[in-house]
Formats: sequence, structure tokens, C-alpha cells
Amino acid sequence: MNNPPSLPSHLLQSAAVRDRFTRLKQREVILEVKHLGKQFTSAQGTVTALKDINFKTHRREFVCVIGPSGCGKSTLIRILAGLESYTSGEALLDGEPIVGACAQRGMVFQGYTLFPWLTVKKNVMFGLEMNDHSKTTAEREALQWLELVGLSKFADAYPHQLSGGMKQRVAIARALANQPRILLMDEPFGALDAQTRAKMQSHLLEIWKNIDITILFITHDLDEAIFLADRILVLKAHPGEVQELIEVPVPRPRNFMQITSPEFLATKARLEALIHPPKVEDDDEAQIRPHMIRMARVGDDVEDVE
Amino acid sequence: MNSTVIPIAPKAVVAKPGWTDSWFAVRKELTPRSRVALIVGSFLLPILIWCAFSYLPFVWHPMMRISDPGSVSYFAPDMLVDKDVFRDETKTAKQNGTALPQGSGANPIYLPAPHQVAKALYTAFTTAPERKDGQWLHESLWHSVQIIFWGFLASSVIGVPLGILCGTYNVLSRLTEPFIEFFRYLPAPAFGALAVAILGIYDGPKIAIIFIGTFFQQVLIVANTTRKLDIALLEAALTLGAKKIQLLFRVVIPGILPDLYRDQRILLGWAWTYLIVAELIGTSSGITWFITQQARYKNFENVYAAIIIIGIIGLVTDLLLAALGKWLFRWERSPNKA
Amino acid sequence: MKQSISSICKHWLHRLALPLALSAALPAAAAPLKVGYSDWPGWVAWQVAIEKGWFKEAGVDVQFEWFDYVASMDAYAAGKLDAVTVTNGDALVTGANGAKSVMILINDYSNGNDMIVGKPGIKSLKDLKGKKVGVEMGFVDHLLLLNGLEKAGMKESDVTLVNSPTNETPQVLASGGVDAIGAWQPNSGMALKLVPGSKPIYTSADEPGLIYDVLAVNPSSIAAHKAEWQKVVKVWYRVVDYIYDPKTHDDAVKIMASRVGVPAAEYGALMGGTKILKIDEAKTAYQKGTSFKSIYGSSKLVDDFNVKYEVYKTPQAIDSYIDPSFTSGL
Ligand SMILES: Nc1ncnc2c1ncn2[C@@H]1O[C@H](COP(=O)(O)OP(=O)(O)OP(=O)(O)O)[C@@H](O)[C@H]1O
Ligand SMILES: [Mg+2]
Repeated sequence: MNNPPSLPSHLLQSAAVRDRFTRLKQREVILEVKHLGKQFTSAQGTVTALKDINFKTHRREFVCVIGPSGCGKSTLIRILAGLESYTSGEALLDGEPIVGACAQRGMVFQGYTLFPWLTVKKNVMFGLEMNDHSKTTAEREALQWLELVGLSKFADAYPHQLSGGMKQRVAIARALANQPRILLMDEPFGALDAQTRAKMQSHLLEIWKNIDITILFITHDLDEAIFLADRILVLKAHPGEVQELIEVPVPRPRNFMQITSPEFLATKARLEALIHPPKVEDDDEAQIRPHMIRMARVGDDVEDVE
Repeated sequence: MNSTVIPIAPKAVVAKPGWTDSWFAVRKELTPRSRVALIVGSFLLPILIWCAFSYLPFVWHPMMRISDPGSVSYFAPDMLVDKDVFRDETKTAKQNGTALPQGSGANPIYLPAPHQVAKALYTAFTTAPERKDGQWLHESLWHSVQIIFWGFLASSVIGVPLGILCGTYNVLSRLTEPFIEFFRYLPAPAFGALAVAILGIYDGPKIAIIFIGTFFQQVLIVANTTRKLDIALLEAALTLGAKKIQLLFRVVIPGILPDLYRDQRILLGWAWTYLIVAELIGTSSGITWFITQQARYKNFENVYAAIIIIGIIGLVTDLLLAALGKWLFRWERSPNKA
Repeated sequence: MKQSISSICKHWLHRLALPLALSAALPAAAAPLKVGYSDWPGWVAWQVAIEKGWFKEAGVDVQFEWFDYVASMDAYAAGKLDAVTVTNGDALVTGANGAKSVMILINDYSNGNDMIVGKPGIKSLKDLKGKKVGVEMGFVDHLLLLNGLEKAGMKESDVTLVNSPTNETPQVLASGGVDAIGAWQPNSGMALKLVPGSKPIYTSADEPGLIYDVLAVNPSSIAAHKAEWQKVVKVWYRVVDYIYDPKTHDDAVKIMASRVGVPAAEYGALMGGTKILKIDEAKTAYQKGTSFKSIYGSSKLVDDFNVKYEVYKTPQAIDSYIDPSFTSGL
């Protein structure tokens, strides 16, 4: 599946885009990962989840991480959040090594992880209170953040009364309320239906535009990655290594019309080529080989479904 | 129950499900009407069985209650004898041509009829104590309730925090749980004599037995409940800047509260089962004294009355606690909502 | 024993806080003498004095605590009681295990309330040859059985003993698993009721004095409160008079029945099997002798039995367990 001849190379950038990248790279480095490695040791033996990962993220940059299942995306982001240790290399935030979790690095999980016993407002206040803000300050700020994600009306609702998309908005507001240096997101929209997901994507870009935040976003959805990211970090599996760091040539501001633009399609074609190479099947799922047995009756009315 | 109040189940329009589909749908809530019917039925059924055994002579009645001893020397009015013995003696009397004994079928003394128990229940509450230092039945009951209360409270005050800590910190769990695992198999009543020696003859040792019977299970159960808290909530709290103590008080404890509350309800039920052994230690007191004494003199209708009272107290407290829990933990998702 | 939650709590905390050493010390002068009593007609009789307030009248502060029999011995052994109502045999057993006591008062001897009950068809002890008998081994009715067998010219090996808790003997007999049981009231009576046609084939009435029921007092309490115990003994004979006086007999039975929670008529029937000793009879029983007529003789025989059946190992110094002075002083 090579690029069709009609598409330009994904490396081709318009002047505006090139300009943007130049400026972006001049901004201060927020996150720097140097030769990062992670090995899991279990009864089954040692698994190298990550090997020699290197990249930098600049201030207010939107980076997506993409890669086949099991390539270590979650492991990477958990290390950056401080929830997992690493076995070699360095991970620096503002030049300081990352040790343990803290409010500097906010995280949004795929599974929402709202505190079910707290109202929406109290969920958002949680981080502020943990960081010694007074109750009144916390409440005032929480309401502002809820306003930003459009959930003011639900301030006193409990999480179980919200839809998945609403829950994830609360989770985003909760993470942002701490005003972290970087927002880490592990497949945050993975469990949402296509429509809600599209809405959440636009919404996230809107938020990102309006506040000073750097975002590292994990996804396995190529369109989502291209739509959101400045740059896309492509990982490959076994061991998890950086395969390529792609600069997305699609100009900003983004909208869904761009999905059919040549830049978009070219980038997607490149990603496809990287993630689903023609021969080598490399992801975890590929090692599970179902054995197809015909279970439909011969002579069935609808024998030919293909 | 006024049937007009109960909402009628909506009728299926297209395909009317058969009764097996509507009553035996897997894990589907029943209509309010059938729910009420089943609740009533769950109590009615055992009572009906009991009535059948008591009032229908052909169901069981393995004994004969003598009304006229006839010529049998050792028979006496109101005596209960085996049917076989009665038949043999009647046969002998017939052969000898002497007066035949008379009697009617009856149940053994340890199965009194419902009306006898009902009467015993009534008289138990309406009869004043005969002695100056005697107690009304409700005073004895109240005494027993207090024993349970203090034993359970003492156990919870230590057991719940310890359980939570064990469930949170592996250090504590490894340090305490093996011994607790061992100790919980030791029969609590075996510590009766020791408890008397240390705590005296009154309520101290009784409370101690309830404590011993509850505490060790409690620590393990609470620790387990704590461990079941979704670790992602703890991780989320960490990324929001929560520190160790905050993690415990702002996430772990509020997160497990509903489950903890349910555990406590179950454990309270267990505490009641230790009451009978607890109250046999030291001075005789409470409902147990009533039960054992009446059983010793074979007044089984009084025994059953007391057992039923305990059952009612247990059921009512549990229902009240369940309602309270529902109100306290409004934030919990209802189990039928995905 | 009416206690509010707070007083129970206070009491309990107090108990916990009190160091063991303190509670083991001699009862302080202010504390009442504590006596544990339980369900046996000769001991239930104390209820008359309690109900009538006679201890107060006599100027002695005693507190009677109602127990299960075994629990009362446990409490005495744990040092929580100054005195306990027991059989003379059990006083020896408790003493051999470290909680020495002195029998200062004889309430009664069993006069038929302890029975060997045979199932229908068993008419005498002789019929038990080769049969099974359910008794609680090492307890008084085991002794009663041996005493009866000996009189009938039999040996223990002529029967098979089935160890059964005394309060379960009625059910054991009813189950048909044994041919006879040995038990005291109310269990023996219940066995007769439960198994129609069953008969008492040997009872304590056939050997009066086999089992004495006594008030056994902690020796240190006697030393510290001799005068008070003397008053207690005196009150007892007021109770005895009240029971034997035809005018007050029914009232006495009524009070006693209320203690155990059964109708007075039912309880009156049980009392026949207990011979409550009048003062002269008690004085006679306190005279030294080797037969069952004397508590010395009875205790010696029980001691032999206990040693033989390894209830305890060393024979007890009987004389040190018996103090006739309180009775003879009246
Ligand atoms: N706790 C652990 N112990 C041992 N091996 C682990 C552990 N966690 C992850 N791994 C292994 O590390 C590798 C990377 O896992 P990770 O969850 O980071 O993958 P991923 O890229 O997030 O996958 P997905 O796209 O399916 O979420 C996998 O091979 C996995 O089996
Ligand atoms: Mg993952």
C-alpha cells in the first residue's frame, strides 16, 4: 500500500505550516525523553516494553502517540505520569527528572476514573484541594472549568448520571483545573461512539487553543491523530521503539472538511504504511491466529455472503 | 395490601411472553406486584408448611396424646407416646379384654403448633416478672441487644480501621493477616473461661465473645473490600496531586464506604449468632437465659417465640440499615444501570 | 440486673482498666459477698431470702448471681465469686484444680432427683447387664450408677457406658441408642416424660446422702468475713423454716418457681426429689462418719471415685473442705 502517485508526499509542507513548525521548535522544551527504556519482569520472563525512546515536546504543542496494540503506548504515558517506573534512560519535565505522580502532569484515562461519590463540581475541585487551595477558590475555579467544558448545568450531578462524553469532559476539566504543565491523555475517547468522539475532538482543540497547555495524546485512530496533532510519534512493537516522528502538514485551524484534503490523505497513507506494513505483522493481536472452520450449513439459503 | 394501589404490569402487545418468560427472566427485575407477592410468599410458605405439620394429622403426628389411659398402667392423661407403643398397648388391652386407652395424634414436644407459639409470644410480652429482681422479656431482649451493640462497636472501632489499613498497605497486611487467618478459626466460645477470669462475670466476657467472634472476620473482610477499590481511582488521585494521607482519607475511605457498609451489615448478622454462646458465659442473662431455661423445661413454644423475636429484630434492623444505606450512598449507580 | 448502656460501658471500661493484680486481691470490705447459684431446688431456695430481703434484715451484704451450673464453677475458679453452690463432689473437683473452697452449709441431699432411668422393659439395674447406659462420665450420676450396680452385685464392666452431656440425656434415651440414662432433675424428669413407659430404676432416694448440695466458700473470704458468713447461714435456716411451714410452703414454691421460669405446680413436683435438711439433720450430716449419712463419708467416697476415674490425680484432704462450725454454732 504505497502512496498513490496522485498524492503529494506527507513531507511536503505549505509555507504557513513550515513557518509554524519553525516557531514551534523555537519554543521552550516542556518534556524531554532520552533513551528511555522499560522492562517488565514477571514469572513468564522479561518483556521489553520500551527501548531507547527519544523525543521532545515543546510548549503548547499537541503530540499524538500512535502504534500497534502492545507497543508500549500506555507504558510510556504512565511513566510520564509518574505511575510507572522506568528501567533506563531519562524523562525530564522542564529539565527536572520525573519521579512519582504530581499535579504538574495531569492525566486523563480511557476509563474516566471520576470519583463516583463526589458531584461533578467536587470532582473538579479535588485536585485544587489536594494542592492546598482554599475551598472557596477551588469552588470558584471548578465552576469556571465546568463552564469551559460546557457542564455548568451538571455541577451538582453525580458521575453515574452522566453520559460517557460528559464524564470525559469532567475528567478533562478536573485534570486542567490543576493547571498542569502537560496533559497526558491515554486513548481518552476510545470508548465513545463516533459522533461523540468527533465532538470531543473539536472541543479538545478548542480548549487547547484557549489555554496554555501541552498535550500528549495516545490513540490508535489515525484520523484522530492527524486531526489533533502537530506531530505524531509512531511507535513499533516488540520492543517498543520510535519508528518515526511525523510533522502533520495539515494547516490549522483544523476542521472536518480537511479529512479529504491531499495533506491529510498523504499523512494517513504514510501512517497506514508504518502501522500496517504489507507483510510483517507485528502487533500482539497478530500472534493470536484464529483457525477458521466453516460453521455455516452447506446449501444454506444465504450461503454466499461475500 | 390494597390491590388497586399496585401498578399493573404493562401488557406486551406483540408477543405475549409465557409465564416462564416473565417470572424466570435471567436477572431481570420483576413487576412490583409479583415482587410483593413473592415477599409475602417467602414468609407464608414456611408458615403454611408449619401449619400443615401441626394441624393436618395425616402429615406427620408420630405421637399420640393420651386422653384416657384405659387399663395401661403407665399411661397418664396428656402424656405423649409413640404411635407404635400406643398401638401395641391397645392390642394387648384388646386381647386381655381390659379398657382400651384413648388418644389423638400429636406432634413431638419439640414442635409446638403456630397458635401455641403465637400465644407464648403474646404472654411473654404481657406477663410481668414475678420476682423483684426479675425482668420483662423486652428488658432481657434489650440487654442482649446492648451486648451485641457494645461487642460489635468495640470490634468495629479497631477492626474497620485495621482492615482498611491492611487493604491499603501491604506491609500491614503481611504483618497481621496470617495470624488473623489463624485466629479466626479458633472457636470464640473457647475463650469463655479466660474472658471471665479477666473481665468478670457480668457483661464484660459476653461482649468479649461477640468481639472475638466478629473482629477477626471483620479485619479480613474489610481488607478485602478495600483491595477491591478500583486502582485507577487511586492513580487518578495521584496525578491530581494527592499525597499518602489524602489518598487514604479522600479516596480509599470514601470509595469503599458503600461496600464497607454492606460488610458491616453482614457482620452484624454474624455477631447475633455469637449471642447465644456469649450469654452462657458468666451470669445468666438476656434472651439466652430465657431460651436455655425454657428448653431445659421443654417449654418449646416459649423457645420458638424467643427465636422468632430474634429473627424479627434481625430482619427489621437489617431493613432499616439497608434503607439508611440507600439514602447515604445516593451517588452509587443502581445495579441495573449499565 | 438492669443496666443502662452507659453504665454497661462504664462498667466494661472499668473492668478493662482495672489491673489484674487489683481484681485478684481480697474483696474490699465495702464490696458485697458474691455468691453464684444455679438451677437446683436446694439452691433456688435462696431466692426466698433474696425476695424477702432477709439478708438485709440480718445486716449482711450478699449479692446472689444467677448462673448456669458449669459457668458458676468457672466463675468461682476464676476468682470472681466469694462462694458458689455446688455438690460436695464438684467442690472437690474445683478444689483439686486450684480453686479451694470450704463447705460451710449443707442445703440438701438429692433424694430421688438424681435417677437412673430405664427405657420400657428395663425394670431394674439387673436388666442392664450387657446393655448401654448414657451418663456424663465423672459426674454425680455416674457415681450413682456405680453405687447402684455395686448394690445389685454387679460391676461397671457389666454395662457399656455412653458419655452423654446430662442436659441431652432425655434425647439420648428417646433416640433408642441406649437402654438407660443417668441424670438429675429436670433432665431426669424430662426423660421420663419424653419416653413413655420409661421408669426410674435406681435413684438417689435409694442412697440418701450420696450427693450433698452445699455452699462452698473461698477460705480467704471466710477468714476475712467470718461473722457475715455466719449470718448468711443463719438466714438459710430461716428459709428452711419457711419452706417446711405448711402455711408458707406454697409461697416458697411460688418464689422458687419464678426464679427458674416454670409454673409453680410443675416446680413443686420436682422439689420432692430434694431433701432440704433442717438444722438438726444438717448437724447430723456434719458428724464424721464413713457412710453416706455423713458428708465426710460421702465426700471420701466421691474422692475415691474421682481419683479412680481420673477426674483428678491426687486424693483431696477431705477434712480441710468441710467446716461444720457455722452450722453447729447455731
Ligand atoms: N505490568 C506489566 N507486567 C508485564 N508486562 C506488561 C505489564 N504492563 C504491560 N506489559 C507489557 O508491555 C507491553 C506494552 O504494554 P502497553 O499496555 O503499554 O501497550 P499499549 O501500546 O498501550 O497497547 P494497547 O494499544 O493495546 O493499549 C505489552 O507487551 C504488555 O504485555
Ligand atoms: Mg494502552
